[in-house]
Parts: sequence; C-alpha cells; structure tokens
Amino acid sequence: MTDHDGIRPDLPDSPEALDALEPGDLDGHSIDELADYLDAGMQPADPSIDDSPACQNALAAIIRVRHASLRSLEAAARDEAPADESWISGVLANISIESRSGRDVPLRPLSETERPVMTEGAIRSLIRRTGDEVPGVLVARCHLDGDVTELASPIRVVVEIAIASGPSIPATAELVRTAVAGAVAEQTDLLVEAVDVVVRDLLPDPEPGTDPEGAR
Amino acid sequence: MHHQSLAELDDAVLAGRSSDGDVRAFEVLIRRHTPLLRAYARRTLGSTDELDDVVQETFITAWDRLDSLEDLARVKSWLMRILSRKCLDRIRARRIHDDVTELEVAAPADDAPDRVAEARSREDAVERALAELPEAQRRCWIMKEVLEYRYDEIAAELDLPPSTVRGLLSRARKNMIRLMEGWR
Repeated sequence: MTDHDGIRPDLPDSPEALDALEPGDLDGHSIDELADYLDAGMQPADPSIDDSPACQNALAAIIRVRHASLRSLEAAARDEAPADESWISGVLANISIESRSGRDVPLRPLSETERPVMTEGAIRSLIRRTGDEVPGVLVARCHLDGDVTELASPIRVVVEIAIASGPSIPATAELVRTAVAGAVAEQTDLLVEAVDVVVRDLLPDPEPGTDPEGAR
Repeated sequence: MHHQSLAELDDAVLAGRSSDGDVRAFEVLIRRHTPLLRAYARRTLGSTDELDDVVQETFITAWDRLDSLEDLARVKSWLMRILSRKCLDRIRARRIHDDVTELEVAAPADDAPDRVAEARSREDAVERALAELPEAQRRCWIMKEVLEYRYDEIAAELDLPPSTVRGLLSRARKNMIRLMEGWR
C-alpha cells in the first residue's frame, strides 16, 4: 500500500516520536496517569503535564487511538446488513408486555363481586394514542402521579410531548391537555386533578426524500 | 398527513415511549441500533451464529429493564453495556477458565506493526491493531475506550482484581499507541 513515491500519505513525519512511553520519557508521568488525567477532564490542571511537550504529545496519541477505536466500531456497523425483518419480529414476539404494564388501576365495579382493573400500561397507551392524534405532536412519556391503585384517589396526569415547529406551542399544548383529559375521563375511572403538559422537545422537520433513520 | 414518523424521533423520546410500553417505539430502537450491536458482538465473539441470539437477548433484557435507564439519551451506550455482559457470559461458557496472568504478559507479534501499517484506512488499522492485542488486553481496552466503563466496573465484570485490570489496560494502551503510530 505505497504510492509511487514509496511513501504512504498517512505516515507520520517522525515515527520514532512515541516510541518512548515510559515515565522517564514523559517528564515523570506514566501513560496511565495521562489517560486518567484525560478521563478527569484534565481537572484539576496539572502544569507538569500541561507544560510538558512530551506529555502533550502522548495525550494527543491517547485521544487519537480512543477516537479511532470508536469510529472503527461505527464503520464496522455500517458494514453490517440492516436488521432482518423476520428477526425483528422474533425479538418483538419475545418481549414481555407485562413487564411494562405497571400498576393495576381499579375501575368502578358494576356489581359487588366484580374487581375490574385496567393496567397502568393500557392507560399510558390510551394517553399516548390520544396525544399522538393532535397535529404536530408526539408523546414522549406520560405518567400518572398519585395512588392509582385506590379508586377515586386524586391523581395528576403528566404528559411530556415533542412538538413540531410552526403552530403556536401553548395552543397545541392546550389541545393535548383537553384531548387527554377527555379520553381519560371517558375510558377510566381515575379522578384526575390536573393534566400537566410538558413540552420537552421539538420534532425534527420532516425533509422529503431523506432517510428518516438518518435523523437522530 | 400530519402524523410524524417514529423513525424520525431521537433515542431519548423513543426510550421514553418504550419504557411506557410502546412496542413500536422499541422496534425503531431495535432497527436503529442492531447494526452497531452486531458489529460489537462480532468483534467480541467472532463471526458466529450466536450473533443473532446475543443481540436478541440484549433487546429483551433492555425492554425489561427500561426503568433502570436514568439518562434516556444514553440508550445506545446502555444497550452496548448490556450486550457486552451477554458476550462475556458466552465467552465464559465457551472456556471454563482464562489464564489471565499468562495473557497479561503476552505482547503483539513482531510483525504486527507491519500488518497495521498496511491497513486501507484508519478504521481498518484499529481493527487490525485490536486483533493483534492479547485477548484480555483487547477486552479491557474495548470496555474502557468504547463502552466507557470505569476501572472498578471492568474489574467487577471480568471478576478480576482492579490492579490486574490496570495492568492490562496499561499494556493495551501502550500497544495500541505503538501499533497505531503510523496512523496519526
């Protein structure tokens, strides 16, 4: 892998510069002390490192290999095939919905002997669906604050949302609040004191023709 | 059509929705991070037919433990850590005991620098340099520099004394710097 001059373009000017990695070569510091110093954000400042060209050289080398290690894994990831669809279905079939279903929330019994419940997970799902239906909104998280396991115990619904830029944020948040309050009142027996809507994120602007997976 | 696609959402929002029980959000996370997890598992276990299983187990464990993820934005590195643990379990199952003390003093072969120098890119060079490291050094290096484990966490995961981990990392560091010297 040499070009016509016999010199690889990436070869360093002075390959011997870092042959010396012992404390005697690094103004008394070991390479591990330097790595720890880097990990600590170079705080508190140590002039015996900061002012030593040999140490600065070694720190740069540590940073280089560190970054290269991360990048090489990312490069290897790009060489991997996308996840196989039937494999994804297999994973989803193996996860347990119960593990995310939360507390049992009682409903008002229609007869003495009934103990109807709805899971907290089902209520969160209802809130999520309701919030998602408001234009330009996706629900990030939601939770029920209060003792939902007691019938008629007052609770607060907290809905965190991500919102598209454009329409008025307060007006959109109000639409979410009203819709969620209505859906919860209609489909559960929770005694809702308040619905708090927290706008925690802006949604990325959808760009036609781009791979949505590329937007993080 | 006003509906936003879940695939456009960032990891934190998806992890939050997953934690609330949204399987579709979790599916986006699976789709997004599987290639990286597979690459990591391949690097750790080699190209075996265990890769699909170990990544699947990682996502199943992650789903069950989403509540324990404190910083939702760090879901990627959290998944990597779960995976790393699963890979270690597999390695342990393959071999009853590693002779760590022997591995610790091992060094790359004499012609290793040449092989690294002949790489076609810096990324490929790292790949080759890592392959030249003795296994225990490579494992510690990846846990420290890719997964950002602390020394004591590596020691706990590998069931080694912290002093041994420090020694392994010290050698790994010097070997990696020397092997990568041609690629600054």
